[in-house]
Amino acid sequence: MELLVFVIASGMVLVGAVGVVAMRNPVHSALGLVLTLFGVAVHFVAMEAHFLAAVQVIVYAGAIVVLFLFVIMLLGVDTAEDLSIEPVPIQRPLAVIIGVGTVVLVGTAVIRTRDTIARGPELEASGDSNIRLLARNLFSDQVLAFELTSVLFIVAVAGTVLMTRKQKRVAPDRDRVGS
Amino acid sequence: MIAAIVAQLGEWTAPVIDWHALAPELILVVGINLVLFIDLNIGEARKWAMATLTGFVLLAAFVPVVTLAVIGDASREMFDGRYVVDHYALILKAIFLLVAYVVVLMSQNELEEGGYYQGEFYVLMLCSVLGMVMMASSRDLVSIFVALELLSIPAYMMAAWRKRDVRSNEAGVKYYLLGVFASAVLLYGMSFLYGTTGSTKLVEIGEVLASGDLIAMQVVAIAFVIAGLAFKVSAVPFHSWAPDTYEGAPTPVTAFFSVASKAAGFVALMSLIFLAFPTATGVYQPLIWVLAVLTMTVGNVMALRQTNIVRMLAYSSVSQGGFILMPLAVAGTGDASQSAVRAVIVYLLIYAFMNLGAFAVVIAVSRKTRSGEITSFGGLFGYAPGMAAVMTIFMASLAGIPPLGGWIAKFNVFKTVIDAGSGAAYALAVIAAVNTVIAAAYYMRVLRQVWMMPAPDGDITPLATPAPVTAALGITAIGTLVLGVLPGLVLRFGDLQDLTGALGR
Amino acid sequence: MILAMVPNSTWYLLLAAVLFGIGAVGLLVRRNPLVMFMCIELMLNAVNLSFVAFAVRFGDIAGQTAVFFVMVVAAAEVVVGLGIIVSIMRRRPGATADDLAELKG
Repeated sequence: MELLVFVIASGMVLVGAVGVVAMRNPVHSALGLVLTLFGVAVHFVAMEAHFLAAVQVIVYAGAIVVLFLFVIMLLGVDTAEDLSIEPVPIQRPLAVIIGVGTVVLVGTAVIRTRDTIARGPELEASGDSNIRLLARNLFSDQVLAFELTSVLFIVAVAGTVLMTRKQKRVAPDRDRVGS
Repeated sequence: MIAAIVAQLGEWTAPVIDWHALAPELILVVGINLVLFIDLNIGEARKWAMATLTGFVLLAAFVPVVTLAVIGDASREMFDGRYVVDHYALILKAIFLLVAYVVVLMSQNELEEGGYYQGEFYVLMLCSVLGMVMMASSRDLVSIFVALELLSIPAYMMAAWRKRDVRSNEAGVKYYLLGVFASAVLLYGMSFLYGTTGSTKLVEIGEVLASGDLIAMQVVAIAFVIAGLAFKVSAVPFHSWAPDTYEGAPTPVTAFFSVASKAAGFVALMSLIFLAFPTATGVYQPLIWVLAVLTMTVGNVMALRQTNIVRMLAYSSVSQGGFILMPLAVAGTGDASQSAVRAVIVYLLIYAFMNLGAFAVVIAVSRKTRSGEITSFGGLFGYAPGMAAVMTIFMASLAGIPPLGGWIAKFNVFKTVIDAGSGAAYALAVIAAVNTVIAAAYYMRVLRQVWMMPAPDGDITPLATPAPVTAALGITAIGTLVLGVLPGLVLRFGDLQDLTGALGR
Repeated sequence: MILAMVPNSTWYLLLAAVLFGIGAVGLLVRRNPLVMFMCIELMLNAVNLSFVAFAVRFGDIAGQTAVFFVMVVAAAEVVVGLGIIVSIMRRRPGATADDLAELKG
């Protein structure tokens, strides 16, 4: 049963990921991304990380992908990109070689060392204790990092509003140091 | 239901918080909100006050750094050793706050006259500084990651601040995509580091790595982490964003990136190398060795070919990064580990002074010439002898000519490398020596324009340098001179055992 | 019976490695900044997957906390990134990463 869940969810992850890379239309890529994110959420449930699975669906698949789609529509760039034109001839084979190389390197490392890493006890998995442990860790050991991420959101909001606003005055030539 | 909640409250122990040690961060957080709020509520005519306010926030954050240093007790640890305020952290926090203050002085007039949004710019800058100040104390993978993002995310926006200009936009997008990619690589390495050691605390990672031979996944983890951080310090071959971003961004922002962001990357690299990987010398030393050699050589060769002063300074800062990497390449060898920390910190401090100074001169001169070409510096001695003199100080210092600060910095780096005494170390020293000579060539080319060439269009009206820029020039020039003449001031940074002492060695 | 096999953390790590590789290839191959950015999201998800797999293996919650932070920071990154991309695309519709060639090495 668990195997079945793993195979189906992995299928979703990989099909979605290939879709993101191979689809010509950005909207289709975004939909592929949703599929991947949802597959990852299923894996999180299978690994008993229930809270993260919920956050994955709400924040990633919900907020982030909707934002992507919104921007695609706003800009009207939902036209297909012609993937048959290669900008730099060697680029694509090189990219594939780099990608496959990374996977093989990391994969061999994982397989070769799969028995040497220490294995801990089972995480308390019953009911909500998993979430309780997460909350404890978050609000004791990592509380400073947690609080400072709020500053990150302040600047993200303030800065993004500014980025999309028009420049206020035109003072040509004033700021130009480049050639 | 309520009984169950009360029962849980019983087991909960709130983390102990040392408010004095956290004061610099807290003041910056308050300052960020204050600047943002006041900026919303004052008229366009009084926006200049934001720079003053930002300056005061930075000075206020400096106060607890000084009091903590004066009290001088041993390191203060919080959150189970995940956040440590020791001498190492305090010195770095002081450097970051000082750099930010000088950058505020440099940006005030540029922003006012360039028609940029001012208040928000300073908010972003303060947030970036907060990330750097946090980085200096972080001893945990998670807080290092959060600090790194806290300092980079505002930087992406600052790079694209010149919105009318296509090149600034491109600089922003390029910087952003590569920066986020680097974060992903860094995080992947961190996940393996956590996965093979079972902890996110640097000291515990170090203990596990020390306890046996490295396994393949740990080697991969260390390589990924170093590659991810190499982007942040713009080490070759991960430097391609740097010259473009530096040229596209407004000049004060470029100064900030080339000094502060780079220093923060080095701080993360140092914390990881000295606390988490001290025994993995066989993995990180060759990697950093190659990075250092490539960085200084490629940076120098590219800098030789530039005709634009900002691009030249960009490549020069890439190559200076190579010199800062040098001590880390021998950090695990014998006595070198102690002096390596000191060499890097001294270099970062002196580099901050001289590079900021060089950018301040560029800002001051380009206000008149409206050009970024090196030839536009022609005749500077004729109409602005004072400016020509400080430019000479900065260029000579960057080239490493005694008795200026840059010489002390380079001397320390070479001494550390020679102390290590291995064949690879000597090879590194020789390559660095050759590079020092190459670097001198392009710094001297600028000085030749300044002292010997006539003004390009015969325009010899004196420079009208605004007071804040003059102040920035003064601070940086005095810093460069004093550290060169009295190196004892910073060489006492030797009592930095706190950092490596954490392992109990 | 083959269906009785229980996936262990090694399987998840291999899946994460493949996902990371696909994301990296996409980043190098695609030219639309929006799609490139989606590929980076794929890589971040690979990171999350391997963090959780390790957390399960160790019976330690710290890995899940790290994932929480990655998600939070990724959300902020997306907002900022899309802001920058909107500001550039609005002035030049249809821009691709290759058109960003105003600046050269």
